[in-house]
Amino acid sequence: MTAARSVLTGLLHYWPLALIVVLWDLWVVVNGYTETVAPRPWAVFADVGANVGEYVPDLAYTLVMSLAGLGLGTLAALIAGIGVWRSAAISGVVTPAALVLRSVPVTAMIPVIARLLGYNDSTVLAITAIICFFPVFVFTVSGLASASQSGRDLFAVLGASTATTLRRLHLLTAVPSIMVAIRITAPTAVLAAMLAEFLIGAHGLGHLFSTARSYMEMDRAWGTAVVATALSVLTFVGARALERAVVARVT
Amino acid sequence: MRGSALRRLYPVLGVIALVVLVEVVGRFELAGKSWPPLTEVLASLGQPGRLDLVLRSLGATAVAAAAGLVLGTVLATAGAALGLLVPVARPGMDRLAAILNAVPLIALAPLLIMTVGREGTPTVIAALGVGFVMFVALSSGLLAASRTHQDVFTVLGAARLTRLRRLQFPAALPYFLDGLALAGPTAVLGATIGEWFGAPSGLGVLIVSAMQNFQIPLLWSAALSATLLSLLAYVLFSRVQVLAARRFA
Repeated sequence: MTAARSVLTGLLHYWPLALIVVLWDLWVVVNGYTETVAPRPWAVFADVGANVGEYVPDLAYTLVMSLAGLGLGTLAALIAGIGVWRSAAISGVVTPAALVLRSVPVTAMIPVIARLLGYNDSTVLAITAIICFFPVFVFTVSGLASASQSGRDLFAVLGASTATTLRRLHLLTAVPSIMVAIRITAPTAVLAAMLAEFLIGAHGLGHLFSTARSYMEMDRAWGTAVVATALSVLTFVGARALERAVVARVT
Repeated sequence: MRGSALRRLYPVLGVIALVVLVEVVGRFELAGKSWPPLTEVLASLGQPGRLDLVLRSLGATAVAAAAGLVLGTVLATAGAALGLLVPVARPGMDRLAAILNAVPLIALAPLLIMTVGREGTPTVIAALGVGFVMFVALSSGLLAASRTHQDVFTVLGAARLTRLRRLQFPAALPYFLDGLALAGPTAVLGATIGEWFGAPSGLGVLIVSAMQNFQIPLLWSAALSATLLSLLAYVLFSRVQVLAARRFA
């Protein structure tokens, strides 16, 4: 009974996965694409299944780059956010500039940074961190400013020092905004790392993808796309779980 | 009074400071030769044919992004409405949207180039990015109608379709416009990703080829144009949203 019910719930929630695979297969068959244009899903899954060892190192590399970039970018954004928090003038001047920089499309930013920092693996990390920095910074500044007036009054009346007010009031009220920023940015970190790897890297899924494509190994190229999608979905789900846990803890 | 005037001045100061910073870093080569002064980038547009090239690419990207915006919005609206009319499909649709959002667009671009073709790829990728943003915005928007209004429609025995048209779509309008303000820049990003992989023209192609050929002023002109397009899309839809809020509130 419960088994049947959980199968049904699974079906209700995950039918699109099956739908995507079926549509993909139909699309290839109906259009009569050959293996060199678009392989059928089964061939791609078989390639991933048979060559797990080929995918894992690049997958791990991209995962580490995305998470490290997200971590570094978030840390820098928190420090910068606290730095401008003290002064309404500084945050009023810096935030619009950060908003402008945030709207630079990733596709325009990566080639420029690649030229500035040179073509190597540390550039991939730097690119991911820089791209994660701006959204987290914008959310941190607005989060720190969102503490209620009554809260501020209370801390002022009790003669709390600036550091205490920051730690016990403003940072706490900013936590939900910061976690939203991390959730939104997590899939972007994977995208940024892969775009950078594709363009300049020597490792990672982006690189695996560009090599497979230039050797016309379409099973491998599509397999990389599937693996990258799974990685990105997992990053998003992980960030969402983290957000829920942290927000539940502080509120 | 003076305080608020000053506060309105801050953003302007911020943007001016950014421009000056970019110029100074470039002028004194603080970040090497790959960071040109802004004035040099602007001057490079005076070279014969250069402005023409940048504008033509900008036009191609703008058209692809706009087409993707329309296509993605239409699909997302249909999807979100379907989720309301056929409630059993709803949990699955949410998952579908989350998956589509997480697909790294880079993974799709070269595959679409092989199948959809070089011309269509930027539009399709833009539509995918836009589709997710709009779907999320509309799914929450369509549920935003107040309980009381819902009850009136129930008591009067309104059909699902009537309820959708007369109550839920109007209630979703602010969410729809919020979504568009986010989706505009997403469309530009999607279109340029599609172009990276070899569309016949567009800012994405120009950026990658300028990078590989060390044409720094051209790289910066193209990157700045893409940024302007993205900002323009954001500002335009935010304005529409503010105007609509004033009209309907």
